[in-house]
Amino acid sequence: MGPVELLHMSVFSQSFSPCGRFLAAGNNYGEIAVFSLSAALSPDASEASQKPILNFTAHDGPVFSLLSTDTHLLSAGNGEISAWSWAETSLEIPEINAMIINPKDNSLIVGGGDNNIHIMDMETGIFKSVLKGHTDYIHCLCFKEREEEILSGGEDGAVRIWGHTEIPLSHFQTCSGMASQECARPQFGKWISCLATDSDWMLCGGGPSLSLWHLRSMSPTSVFPLPGCQREAVFYQDLIMSVGEGPHVSHCLHGGTVKAQIPCTPSSLNTLALNLKNSEHRVMTVGGSSHQIDVFTNFSYRAFSLSF
Amino acid sequence: MSSDAVKKRKPKVVRNEAGTPETKRSRAEGDQLSAVSSHVEFRKVRLRQVQVTYPAGPHLIGQRKLITAKNQEVRVYNEEVELEDRDPQQDYMLYKDTCADLAKLMAEIQELKSSGAKVGSVEIEERHRQCSVHFITLKKLNRLAHMRLKKGRDQTHEAKQRVDVLHLQLQNLLYEVMHLQKEISKCLEFKSQHEEIELVSEEEFFQEAPAEISRPHVTRDDNHQLTLARLDWELEQRKRLAEQYKMSLARKEKIQKAIEQKREYLSSLQPGLQNIMQASLPVQEYLSMPFEQMQKQAEVARHLPPPLYVLLVQAAAYGQACDKTLSVNISGDVDEAKALSRRPEDSQEDESDSDAEEEQQNTKRRRATVGVQLEDKRKAMLRRHPLSLCVDLKCKDGSVLHLFFYYLMNLNILTVKTKVSTATDLSGAVSAGELLNSESLLNCLYASDHGKETPNPANRYQFDKVGITTFADYVSDLGHPYVWVQKLGGLQFSSDGAQSELRGSALSASHMEKTMKLLRGRLQARLALHKQFSSLEHSIIPVSSECQHLFPAKVVSGLTRWTMMSYQEFTELGFVQHVLKAGLVCETDLFFMAVVERGTARLLAAVVLNPRYPEVMPLFSLSLHWKGERSGRTEDNLRAMESEVNVFRAELQGPRPGLQLLTNQIQRLCVCLDVYLETESQVCDGSEGPREFPREKMCLRTARGPSRLKPFKYNHPQGFFSHR
Repeated sequence: MGPVELLHMSVFSQSFSPCGRFLAAGNNYGEIAVFSLSAALSPDASEASQKPILNFTAHDGPVFSLLSTDTHLLSAGNGEISAWSWAETSLEIPEINAMIINPKDNSLIVGGGDNNIHIMDMETGIFKSVLKGHTDYIHCLCFKEREEEILSGGEDGAVRIWGHTEIPLSHFQTCSGMASQECARPQFGKWISCLATDSDWMLCGGGPSLSLWHLRSMSPTSVFPLPGCQREAVFYQDLIMSVGEGPHVSHCLHGGTVKAQIPCTPSSLNTLALNLKNSEHRVMTVGGSSHQIDVFTNFSYRAFSLSF
Repeated sequence: MSSDAVKKRKPKVVRNEAGTPETKRSRAEGDQLSAVSSHVEFRKVRLRQVQVTYPAGPHLIGQRKLITAKNQEVRVYNEEVELEDRDPQQDYMLYKDTCADLAKLMAEIQELKSSGAKVGSVEIEERHRQCSVHFITLKKLNRLAHMRLKKGRDQTHEAKQRVDVLHLQLQNLLYEVMHLQKEISKCLEFKSQHEEIELVSEEEFFQEAPAEISRPHVTRDDNHQLTLARLDWELEQRKRLAEQYKMSLARKEKIQKAIEQKREYLSSLQPGLQNIMQASLPVQEYLSMPFEQMQKQAEVARHLPPPLYVLLVQAAAYGQACDKTLSVNISGDVDEAKALSRRPEDSQEDESDSDAEEEQQNTKRRRATVGVQLEDKRKAMLRRHPLSLCVDLKCKDGSVLHLFFYYLMNLNILTVKTKVSTATDLSGAVSAGELLNSESLLNCLYASDHGKETPNPANRYQFDKVGITTFADYVSDLGHPYVWVQKLGGLQFSSDGAQSELRGSALSASHMEKTMKLLRGRLQARLALHKQFSSLEHSIIPVSSECQHLFPAKVVSGLTRWTMMSYQEFTELGFVQHVLKAGLVCETDLFFMAVVERGTARLLAAVVLNPRYPEVMPLFSLSLHWKGERSGRTEDNLRAMESEVNVFRAELQGPRPGLQLLTNQIQRLCVCLDVYLETESQVCDGSEGPREFPREKMCLRTARGPSRLKPFKYNHPQGFFSHR
């Protein structure tokens, strides 16, 4: 990988291993790099420990989505999902932007370029069902464990909620008409690129400002005044962390105020991951338009960077 | 005489008139006296007798004189003459006597009168008469005194005049004396020209000169004659020598003419010989034995320093075996090289030894001239061998790369200078000036070989000694000491590390082929770039027919400007900072600014052109001015455009070795800008008025993926755009 390629590299996806000791990251060249967190976080960490311990080309196109199950690392990009070292399946979808696991029935839910959500049985590798409804490609998915509902956000500006236990889809709601609401930003567009849920609360953002919604009443409660389009947002304890355009991680409070913006290396960020599986390596990592992945041990400042 | 007489008379008359009234009476008495004297004349003879008879008394003296004058000059009475005969002393006595008589007579009259005598008495009358006579005498004496005074005065005047004349004469004479003295001194000071002539010494003269010239009998004693004779002899000798000179001149002329003739003959021989040589060349060639040239070269090559010799042999060998278009020549002063090779070792050692000694001996004294001496020493250290190698690499299109290799004797490194001569005229492109510049042409032929610092680590210490801070200051003068040049010359310095077992010819041979190919590639790349630049400057993107399939037929965005930038200007641009930070820019790179425009949108592209182009891709950094400024740092789509242009070399380079790369990159940039603008206006429905950029490009989808990238990839036969 030459210096020019490094200059133009973007990190699109990340995933921590089940044990929490490793981090996998996928970039726009179709490469997946596996970093050892235990090595990088150890007191005698050196320059070399911030380099990947394993680096392989998974796809021809960019790796938009990475997911780790108990035993597998699933990666997806243009039209194929690879489960590393076990199986490899193929789909007739142009690209896959998001994957989640439904732990209840061990099925994989993927969404992407064909505007549909596909549900695959992980045991057999057979697609069980297709959820149709979005009018443009799907940016993001998230899973509401208590109700076993799937939320999807797409380029068409809608967030749909799917009750996937019943097939065909039993119920969906859309957050359409956002253009008239306070979070709308017509100068950017209407797409929804990030979704997160926590019990009755949902975060969504993208073209519209990042906003917190109450699901039962289907109404926005607060809008966060973040200037750029947000690409990923998560709930963490009583904080909301969000990344997107602009070289910083934003810490927001539920009330709608931005508490802090932590600077980081890439000029815009695509992905944010929290390692909660392993208390020993409790870190936040962010990746974006750079070949470097920033690691936050304390969430309020950047500790070091991993690098492809 | 008469005038004199009048003159003499006149003062007297004047005096008398101005005198007392008594003088009138005295004149009348004078008239009486003259009457008396005329009376006297009649009785002259008698008077003579009287004179003898009468006792000599003062009264009678005047009469007697009168008589004598009358005796000498007949009938002329001249008082002046009488005056000469009288003695003034006597006159004075007479005057005294007369006065005494007069006083006595007066006293007698007084007495008589007092005694009561009558006025007309005889005694008084008698005494009156006597008194009158005395008065007459007194008058006469007075006149005489006047005349005597006048005469004395005249005499004084006369004498004075005489004295004046004499004085004048004296002055004249003195002046003459002075003049003469001056003349004499002038004569004494006169310098004859002969004194400047160097004469033979006297002894020699007498020995050599013939007797008729030397004339010893005359000249022995007479110095003047001797000199004359010597001059004569000199003249004689000179005449003889002039004659001899003329003869020699004539002889010289004759010899010169002969030489000229012979030379002409020789030069007329030359073409003939050349003809023969020329005629023999085909034979040599036919037999593929270029004896002559090789012989000549071998002769000169003996004097080459070892590194250049290695280079010569290897380059010639490579040329013979693999590359017929490569030719090697030796140039420079062979004689100087011969002189050098005669004492090759000791000169250098001596120099350094003596240097050290000198420094110890007299550092103090030399302080003042240290600067000059250092300069000299520097020059000596940087001296290059009088012989140099010229390697010419010809390309297919007729352009030639001339490489001049020099050897710096004291530094033990090789340097190279370059020159390009092209088949076609290459003027026109302003921004291309740097491309064929001999300074930068061979920069980084191998990666990071800038040729600025000397590759020989030992030089560092030598430089310290003479105060050279960096070799880079001398590079333009001496040529660049690239590492590959050292290797071609078989020089290996320890800093190169690992493969140091190769030495000399083996090392040179191991690098020759690759280097020559690189050189040729570099020249071709530069010439190709040159051509592209001159099109780009006229806002034409010269896409070649082989690369046409990489781009859609219709490209609306167009290049409007292509200019060169300096490193300084480049670093000041805001949108290239990430490239700078990534360390992808070097000061030796070339920098350009391209401006692509479509409608109101203006895309600035800062281009970094590595000297190793096309091996290293030119690097574009973008900044779009359209509805505000966006750059590749802040906008993912512009970043994607950058990577579209910068990364996909295999697609863009066209036919090997990729000389069209830059053109294709710029064309792709235009295409990407088209896609960007057309899809942007669709995604972001500004909804006011008609769109500025109607959608013409066929795209499957306008956005995809988390960062919602636009479809920048062109698919050739189908003609649509898709995502990567």
